[in-house]
Amino acid sequence: MQDRRSFMKSAAMTAATALASGRARGVSLPVLDSEIAWNKAPCRFCGTGCHVQVGVENGRIVAIAGDQLAEVNKGLLCVKGYHVGSILYGEDRLTQPLKRVGDAHVPISWEEAIDIIARRIMLAPERFAMYGSGQWTIPEGFACQKFMKGGLSNNHIDPNARLCMASAVTGFLATYGVDEPAGCYDDLDNCDVLIFWGNNAAEMHPVLFSRVIDRRSRGEVVRLIDLGTRRTRTTEFSDEYLNFVPHTDLAIANGIAHLLIANDAYDKNFVENYCNFRAPTEPQSLFGQPITFEQYKGEIARYTPEYVEEVSGVPADKTRMLADLFANSDLRITSLWCMGMNQHTAGTGINCLVHGIHLLSGHFGRPGDAPTSLTGQPSACGTVREVGTLAHALPGGRLVANNEHRAQCERFWNLPEERINPEPGYHTVKMWERFCTPGAEGGDIDTIWVQVTNPGQTLPNLRKLFDAKEGLDDKFLIVSDVYPTATTRLADLILPSAMWVEKNGVFGNSERRTQQWFKMVDPPAEARDDCWQVIAVARRLMDLGHQGMRDKDGEFIFQMRDGEGEEVRAWEWEHYYDTNVDRALFEEYRPFTRLKHKDLAPYDEYVTKRGMRWPVVEQDDGSWRETRFRFAGFDDPYVDRGKDFQFYHSTTKDDRAQIWFFPYSPPPEVPDEDYPLWLCTGRVLEHWHSGSMTRRVPQLARAVPRGYVELHPQDAAALSIANGEPVVVESRRGSIELPAWIEGRGRPPAGSVFVPFFDETRLINEVTLEAHDPISKQPDYKKCAVRIRKAVGP
Amino acid sequence: MPPRPVSQATHSRVPLPVIRPPGAVDEGGFLDACTRCAECVSACPHDAIHLAPDRFRVARGTPIIDPAIQPCLMCEDTPCVSACPTGALLPTQPRAIASATIQTWTCLAHQGGICFACVEQCPVPGAITMNSGKPEIDPAVCTGCGVCHYVCPAPENAVRIMPVPDRPTSKESS
Repeated sequence: MQDRRSFMKSAAMTAATALASGRARGVSLPVLDSEIAWNKAPCRFCGTGCHVQVGVENGRIVAIAGDQLAEVNKGLLCVKGYHVGSILYGEDRLTQPLKRVGDAHVPISWEEAIDIIARRIMLAPERFAMYGSGQWTIPEGFACQKFMKGGLSNNHIDPNARLCMASAVTGFLATYGVDEPAGCYDDLDNCDVLIFWGNNAAEMHPVLFSRVIDRRSRGEVVRLIDLGTRRTRTTEFSDEYLNFVPHTDLAIANGIAHLLIANDAYDKNFVENYCNFRAPTEPQSLFGQPITFEQYKGEIARYTPEYVEEVSGVPADKTRMLADLFANSDLRITSLWCMGMNQHTAGTGINCLVHGIHLLSGHFGRPGDAPTSLTGQPSACGTVREVGTLAHALPGGRLVANNEHRAQCERFWNLPEERINPEPGYHTVKMWERFCTPGAEGGDIDTIWVQVTNPGQTLPNLRKLFDAKEGLDDKFLIVSDVYPTATTRLADLILPSAMWVEKNGVFGNSERRTQQWFKMVDPPAEARDDCWQVIAVARRLMDLGHQGMRDKDGEFIFQMRDGEGEEVRAWEWEHYYDTNVDRALFEEYRPFTRLKHKDLAPYDEYVTKRGMRWPVVEQDDGSWRETRFRFAGFDDPYVDRGKDFQFYHSTTKDDRAQIWFFPYSPPPEVPDEDYPLWLCTGRVLEHWHSGSMTRRVPQLARAVPRGYVELHPQDAAALSIANGEPVVVESRRGSIELPAWIEGRGRPPAGSVFVPFFDETRLINEVTLEAHDPISKQPDYKKCAVRIRKAVGP
Repeated sequence: MPPRPVSQATHSRVPLPVIRPPGAVDEGGFLDACTRCAECVSACPHDAIHLAPDRFRVARGTPIIDPAIQPCLMCEDTPCVSACPTGALLPTQPRAIASATIQTWTCLAHQGGICFACVEQCPVPGAITMNSGKPEIDPAVCTGCGVCHYVCPAPENAVRIMPVPDRPTSKESS
């Protein structure tokens, strides 16, 4: 039976399903029971950064609605977003610290757990590592950075974002000298042509995709071009689908550049005034070597449409069609990409090439003209890329290897000189490789503390990089999480964490938008904030005599003061919320952001807004203005007055961006006689990443209950495999069994298969390859060689 | 709770709107023929059939399907029909058990979002098709199995399943 209240709640959610746009039916939230308190928060899931309204009653989330005031989603949410409130309430939330004793995990006190971690670190601080993610909030990531690099003088801190957008970072750095997109989502409202480079936005960034489709339903013409290695739901909405052989996107991009030059159709003014040309060196680096326009022209000359067709399978006419679009300066062209270009052993290369064709053709910096990478995690940009929770980075775009950058951080943090270690730490694959190798055989990482991520499911080649930890007595795995996962399985210590609106937070989304929210409900039982956990361990280390936990005046590195200047004992849970720790850390972080002109506004400015896009610069009247289009004179306050464009962080220090040449060469593993099929892995609309949250939402679990392998009918018929039948997918590294889905959601071409990675009962990463891009160190989950066979019945 | 006494007024043989297994004869005939033996319940390989609880009054103890709990998967060989010893379920009867309609005002796809759970999981080819990213049900093809209702991930379920109102008698269908 539905009582009035539950009807009102459901009506709120229903009303919220309407897209607030020109086509919207004018729905608004009905009058609600006053007992429900509504507050804003960015969605917990992907990097789109939609805002939701969270309805709380009696200490529990009872309703979720799309936030009508949010520019990103204008009231719309995706199927996951509508259920984001339910992720807190899975039956098996972790609610107390657990220690491994034999094969069992037994409850212990927080005091004991914090002491175990501190003593473990004291044994060998240099053999300790932290592994986090783009789901750390900005203050959490900043605290971890300070704890590791500023406190322990240890740079072994890396995020799962290494597996996710590291190649996008290196692409931006190599091209513009500074990370993150120049454009923003406004480009999606203004483009005439939208090119998806191996990107299934309909499923992975559905709200952004809807934003574009909504334009069509209002009668606007937007041409969608899907460049992919399998037909997806995005393909169904696209005007063109161009299927290419995996990895040959480099050839296609070079083919477009070649035609722009061969047809004399490139933007001469833009290139002459704002660009240089560059080519890779051996070994590869972010800087490569300068080449002349003539050399560039010579290098790409071999990428004729016919050669591109031979390599990629894309018909020569289609490459010409793409080049003609880029040659037309009246059109506005936006390129979108995500994991297809990033999880790529030539990820830096293809990222640079796509930036390159936009620069070469001048499709840059006007609203609708943008090369834009999307991110998969809510704060991959805000935390990983800006706070810099990477083994080689310091906050605000600084590098550990740079003397001046280290000195700046030491000054900001009031640390003694030379506290920060100048050696970069281990990147993700190396960190886990060293952790899974016995100490006696060179495995020089013996403790890893994992927060907000699930490497036991998401690392590539799991047997080698994760499972091998089992039985190594000198290794110790600490996991902070909200649910039991494939990672907690091997944990020696499990810490129950608060999640999402159970704590304060700040995220940074794909379009440089920084978004703040407040704690709205209490975490269950003994679950506590990740940030508190770090501060508590730091304090315990200080008490044990670790000098790194003190600044140069002998004060604790996480010393907090309340409004009256009184010390707040934030390391004690009962005092953690005596002050807003997030606000304190955010304000401490803000001065770091100015070096790369990624200025953030004061914390309190974000409280009333649905985020702001940096650089956020204070105006004469005291207001704070966001920036939509970087490097473009009409909008970016850091471009010198009178200039149309200025790449003010240019690697060549001449305000120019770099147009790179990168040759196509085959990937490290290609199908052969023994393993004749390509394997691609990825996500599905209903589940987010490893599924630890979404699989606990009944509606989402019902919609897509389990992992599967998508097969082409021809490959299935050759082995007499019917829809739904169990199939073994096997590589040189491992094998798993999955039901077949033929002509399903995605349709891989003959000779290739696709498996989603959300299902922890069917770990496809037992099969994938850990080969990675030489610059970004990001592994390639999108291609390796496999074979399939019909599974023998039980 | 103790069973409430059933009044004569509600004991009348007004057919109640319930979803029967495939092949059910008209509701009056069904209530006459069904012996509440539960053979169809045990025959169902998907546990989709269960016995109606007391609140179903005259229909209590007879087999029903609730797609919110477990939908019918429309088996080719209809083991439930084969298991029925009394002719309450007959192979000559239509297979359709209900009809599905999409409530566009709660459907994510119809409201400008992206969703395709129902069309993907529908076991009856052609019953649901996508038109410009929005699902549409062909009532002539739909068997009302309820899978679309079961898998619908909208915050308010967007698929309504209504039992077939007037099933033919066994004579009419044979």
